[in-house]
Amino acid sequence: MREALLERDGASILAAIEGDGLAPGARLAIYRHHVFATLTAALETTYPAVRHLVDPRFFGYAAHAYIAAQPPAGPCLAEYGATFPGFLAAFPACAHLPWLPDVARLEWAMNAALVAADAATLDPAALGEIGAPAAARLVLRLHPSVTYLESPWAIDRVWRASQPDADPDERVDVAAGPVRLEIRRAGDDVVYRRLDAPAFALRRALGTGRALRDAAAGALGLDPALDLAGALADLLAEDLVVGFGVSEDDGGSA
Amino acid sequence: MTIGGAPPDAPERLAGIGLRAAHVAEVMATRPPVGWLEIHAENYMGGGPGPSRLDTVRRDYAVAVHGVGLSLGSAEGLDGGHLERLRRLVERLEPVRVSEHLSWSVSGGVYLNHLLPLPYTAEALARVADNVARCQERLGRRLLVENPSSYLRLRGSTIPEPEFLGELARRTGCGLLCDVNNVYVSAANLGFDAERYLDALPAAAVGEIHLAGHAVNDADGRAILIDDHGSRVAEPVWRLYERALARFGSVPTLVEWDTDLPPLAVLLDEARAAGRRLVAASRGSGVRAA
Repeated sequence: MREALLERDGASILAAIEGDGLAPGARLAIYRHHVFATLTAALETTYPAVRHLVDPRFFGYAAHAYIAAQPPAGPCLAEYGATFPGFLAAFPACAHLPWLPDVARLEWAMNAALVAADAATLDPAALGEIGAPAAARLVLRLHPSVTYLESPWAIDRVWRASQPDADPDERVDVAAGPVRLEIRRAGDDVVYRRLDAPAFALRRALGTGRALRDAAAGALGLDPALDLAGALADLLAEDLVVGFGVSEDDGGSA
Repeated sequence: MTIGGAPPDAPERLAGIGLRAAHVAEVMATRPPVGWLEIHAENYMGGGPGPSRLDTVRRDYAVAVHGVGLSLGSAEGLDGGHLERLRRLVERLEPVRVSEHLSWSVSGGVYLNHLLPLPYTAEALARVADNVARCQERLGRRLLVENPSSYLRLRGSTIPEPEFLGELARRTGCGLLCDVNNVYVSAANLGFDAERYLDALPAAAVGEIHLAGHAVNDADGRAILIDDHGSRVAEPVWRLYERALARFGSVPTLVEWDTDLPPLAVLLDEARAAGRRLVAASRGSGVRAA
């Protein structure tokens, strides 16, 4: 039945369905319609800017193909659609909109930030217990809501222009990239902002679990004058650090 | 009738509404007079403002948790990770009731977001009973299992649905959630007698009733009722509800609305309509409320 509902194999289940005065296929179609309609609605909730940018009918077409190819793996609908941006990138009908998958990635990051697990901010005093030899191997755990997203396109401007309250006559130069964005939850709200290249490199590397020494090396490569202590103080002051550890690896940078 | 002034055990306090995200802020701000609220478990399994607002709502209202994704009919057993998330939510909210559906929605790791029909056989009964028992053990409390809305019957089913539910309750000690709209919709779609269905359920096991609107669609020239939760409760469903109250007693009753969600006031109005019938039923009189 699963295969029939996902439009992969309609025949085998029909023999198991009582007609009761109606063709079994018509009865099965009621379920199939519900599956696609509700999952499409879930994707519309997660990707409203994409829907606005491509128009609702095209979105429905792309969503239908996506649902059939990559149905949900779990029952929490807010968690469905993580792979939709990648699907759009490979969807031939969207090939003329090369920036669209990155707008979708931004929307996914916002959606993920809203429902990410709660975590208490680290008290900076706790870092004081780390001795100098271990500081280079420090691994910070950033808030579960945070995503670092880089794009060659001005996707933040495109997103902003697709909001219901945006000026419909505003022109956006999508090629005015690249942009390096930090998306996170702050209080009850989801916020995003642009970072410069060194700060983005540092934070993204820390966010992926790289030790401080390695993350700093990448950022200092972009800006040898980077104030590392100041950058770390900013991270703590912005309530982005929720935990830390010390890497076992004491070799050179990976 | 104002619930605010009614005693804690007043029958009108048994009427509740499904709390949807679009209404949460208004409920928090206005604290409308309604007996209780029910939430969908899967909408509150993450972090952030959704669950924390629910913590606030919980201080003013009795809250029930209604799961839609556990897939009690799964042959592959329950998803342990999902069951653990449900357990944590139940621990956090301390709900007055926890319910799920007699259906399946997960197969081979794919979740289909629908309450899909089971074959009603001895084998399926044993499987569902195992899943219900595991869920109750994990949650440390009794589960209510809801009858689905149905659009087809599977060949080879040997046990009528109300008997299947009754035996499930007897084996596992679970309670039943009787969705009266689902009974009405399924009876019309599959051609059985809705009143006889109610009569065949074990009255003592019924711990909650659901009411909702349905749509009437055309399928190849035949009317098919769709349980879309998108309108007011239909008049024949109110009559079936009155019969259910006469048989089950004054049971906590929920009005659900999901498609084309109206203003909160409309849901509250529907809950009052259920409350009037609960009051009448508790007096043991025939109910003819408007």
